[in-house]
Amino acid sequence: MILPGLASLPFGIGFGVAAAQKGLSAFETTLMSVTVMAGTSQMVALDIWAQPLPLIALAVSVFVANLRYFVMGAALQPHLPPLPWYLQPPIWYVTVDQNWAVNIAEYRRGHGDLGKFLGGGFVMACIWSGSTLAGHLAAGGVLSDPTAARRLGLDFVGVAVFVVVATILFRGKRDLSPWAVAIAAALASRWLIGGNWYIVVGGLAGGLYGAMRDLRASNVGQS
Amino acid sequence: MSASPENLIAILVMALAATMAKGGGYFAMRWLGHHRVVAAMLDHAPGAVLVSAAIVPIMNTGGAFVVGAIAGAIATRKAGGFTPGLFAAVGAVALARWSGFD
Repeated sequence: MILPGLASLPFGIGFGVAAAQKGLSAFETTLMSVTVMAGTSQMVALDIWAQPLPLIALAVSVFVANLRYFVMGAALQPHLPPLPWYLQPPIWYVTVDQNWAVNIAEYRRGHGDLGKFLGGGFVMACIWSGSTLAGHLAAGGVLSDPTAARRLGLDFVGVAVFVVVATILFRGKRDLSPWAVAIAAALASRWLIGGNWYIVVGGLAGGLYGAMRDLRASNVGQS
Repeated sequence: MSASPENLIAILVMALAATMAKGGGYFAMRWLGHHRVVAAMLDHAPGAVLVSAAIVPIMNTGGAFVVGAIAGAIATRKAGGFTPGLFAAVGAVALARWSGFD
């Protein structure tokens, strides 16, 4: 999980630098990363971070920016063992893009393990929080140079995780049309709505199309 | 180690909002999980989410990201695993940029 965790390194450093420029202390920056642990929404929140702090706007923007985790959690939940409600929050906490992607693939292949999911998530939390702290401490220094990470291709690690896991999950012809619908919906959403909605819209559109097609086929088969 | 009370309250509000969004899907599935349409949808949702998450940054950045995505997919298929695919994808992006293809 260290390798996928590296996906957050350049972003975390960038967030730390941006947080320092907004006047947050190193402690506040790290605390935000540890407790929120969702980079995009933290970056969105920094955009509207001004005194007096708009608490409702912050809550709404963080919630909306994280709505993709709603779909991801719903997809993972059926694979998890039944747990009492008080053990659920750690699972919610570690539901972040790369950790979810790696573990949904493992569960799909029958190798899923709750310990790996939780452990991987906490490794990612350490890398994310540590990188934002490093970015804050080195604001204006060498770590804040985005071209260094870019030259090494590190800005692609996050996307690469999605591509690689999608390739692992690919089941052939039956996935082609739902994925095409998802891609078309994601691109349309990005163009028409903007923001991060494309993941939610694409995921729901592709999932719904695949479900309707499968249910129709099974109804035809039964009649 | 400085922190203002206003900032701490804002961070707490953000953490609660993120937790609600993350936990919502798990919570909703307790009631919706046995529904036929939902179960069929969740069979396709992971792949659909992944390709949706990948396609926009690839199309936005183009060039090197397209090369990286193709290299990653091929290496994952041929070498049969996560780590070779990830290294091939990131390596291909670095190589493409090094050779001036951005």
